[in-house]
Amino acid sequence: MGNFAMMDVASIQAGLRAKEFTAREVAEDALARVAVADAQVHAFLETCPDLAFAAADRVDAAIAAGDLAKAGTLAGIPVAFKDNMNLVGTHTTCASHMLENYVSPYTATCVKRIIDQGGIPLGKLNMDEFAFGSSTENSAFGRTCNPWDLGRVPGGSSGGSAAAVAAGMCTMTLGSDTGGSIRQPGSFCGVVAVKPTYGVVSRYGVVAFGSSLDQVGPFTRNVRDAALSLNALAGRDVLDCTSQDVTTDFTAALDQDVKGMRIGVVREFMDAAGLTSEVKAKIQEALDKLEEAGAELVEVALPNVHAAISAYYVIAPCEAFSNLARFDSVRYGFCDEGHHDLGGQYEASRSGGFGVEARRRIMLGSYLLSSGVYTKYYYPAQQVRTLITQDYQKAFEQVDCIIAPAAPNVAFKFGEISDPATMYLSDMYTISINIAGNGGMSMPIGLGADSGMPVGAQIITPAFKDENMIRAAAALERIYGTAPIAPAFAEGGAC
Amino acid sequence: MEQYVTESDVRRIAEYARIGLTEEEVASMTVDLNSVIETLKPITEYNLEGVEPTFHPIGSLSNVMREDVEGESFTQEEALANAPAAQDGCFLIPSILGEGGDK
Repeated sequence: MGNFAMMDVASIQAGLRAKEFTAREVAEDALARVAVADAQVHAFLETCPDLAFAAADRVDAAIAAGDLAKAGTLAGIPVAFKDNMNLVGTHTTCASHMLENYVSPYTATCVKRIIDQGGIPLGKLNMDEFAFGSSTENSAFGRTCNPWDLGRVPGGSSGGSAAAVAAGMCTMTLGSDTGGSIRQPGSFCGVVAVKPTYGVVSRYGVVAFGSSLDQVGPFTRNVRDAALSLNALAGRDVLDCTSQDVTTDFTAALDQDVKGMRIGVVREFMDAAGLTSEVKAKIQEALDKLEEAGAELVEVALPNVHAAISAYYVIAPCEAFSNLARFDSVRYGFCDEGHHDLGGQYEASRSGGFGVEARRRIMLGSYLLSSGVYTKYYYPAQQVRTLITQDYQKAFEQVDCIIAPAAPNVAFKFGEISDPATMYLSDMYTISINIAGNGGMSMPIGLGADSGMPVGAQIITPAFKDENMIRAAAALERIYGTAPIAPAFAEGGAC
Repeated sequence: MEQYVTESDVRRIAEYARIGLTEEEVASMTVDLNSVIETLKPITEYNLEGVEPTFHPIGSLSNVMREDVEGESFTQEEALANAPAAQDGCFLIPSILGEGGDK
């Protein structure tokens, strides 16, 4: 076994080019690796060997024809996708009984773009049901464990996507982020995790949660691989009218010196109640090291950002309520059969198919959009959104990016947080970025002093300046190194 | 904590959202919703006079049109493949008119 899924894009492609191994061998090895490691982690809901081998054979054919580059920038790379992304022929369950038997008749644009660049699809990854959650404990098909400590959550909702990369089962995965669902699990599992600016990546074929908030992005173990993934993903797609014409080469920012870069520090973030001392210490250390490397630290204010969580928990459930109305037990999805009236079939199917948190969000959205209540919450939440967006715009007149925690704490233990309102606080640092539509990523900066668990620094950029986060992340990578595979899963580890 | 929704409100909301709840679920949902709505309080306390709402992060976005050209689409078979029940090339639902239908 070559443990190819533990390698980065450059190493795999160098081996393929030198004919040390074939893409077919990469696929076989990576699937065998998943079979072993995933018995501990449970990041995968399904593997798709047929699709993996077909993709690998296309890459090998290109190599045989003498041109690896023709097979794409991600040729031969083991990848996997959050299970809210359609990949034709696979189940797309959203980790819900509602879609347990749903087989995708088509492929999401983001998935297609990765596979078109030669990525080898290994399968589909666990998540909180319909992306409602911050721990992947809400999956209808069992929880995913954090590879750094199997007794802790991987974060969520894209917990499977983060854990698969941290355990060395994939070189790259995709997740989606509505309020922090890429960045928070990225921080908890110690991997590079990017939520691009809203509009950079098409959401066509990704099951919608909050349509004005959702964005797709990659998980990797180094910044270059994240940049390569963004190059493949970004750009206009006629099938998602919010996708913009982005043609940036994100790898160009990798070698830009951080010297002279203006990095914002937000007091409201650093002094927030709930920020644990071990995370605060690591973020402060990262800022100090960036300053030593030549970056200029500038204090900026985001006076309205504290209202982001309440604005989010108005806007997101309202949009979810609307999006989840499509599950009608008639066209697809779970159907509680044997009813003689359509209303009875709807109610029984939706209560039988949706889990507790999904029902809670649907109910909350239904309440918030009801007449009389709408003007009290929904409309003001959208006004607050204006204030938060303006806060960021003003801050970004002074700085190129902002660095903050990605999460207030390291990964918590299973069952440690059961109250939904407390769980929602775990996204306190990520939510305002979705509200404003900016880009943000979590970059691993070592382990917390108390827990020994990974800590992520969040790099926040102005809208459509995602290259700034690559520049700052590359500087952090030069200081802290690339993201390590969780020790128990690394070569010579126990798993 | 303030009581924002009662159990009877929750029953009404559930009906509107087409979610069937048992009496036990109504009780726990009422507690959960009140707890979450309490956290939304800051939104109601802001002075937002004269502030325009932002419904979408790409503010300048207006209708985006594509060329009206013929493209590939699902066959009837593909479109029905995930349907819980189908008959004669159509989605099948319980009778909504006449005997056994909704009143």
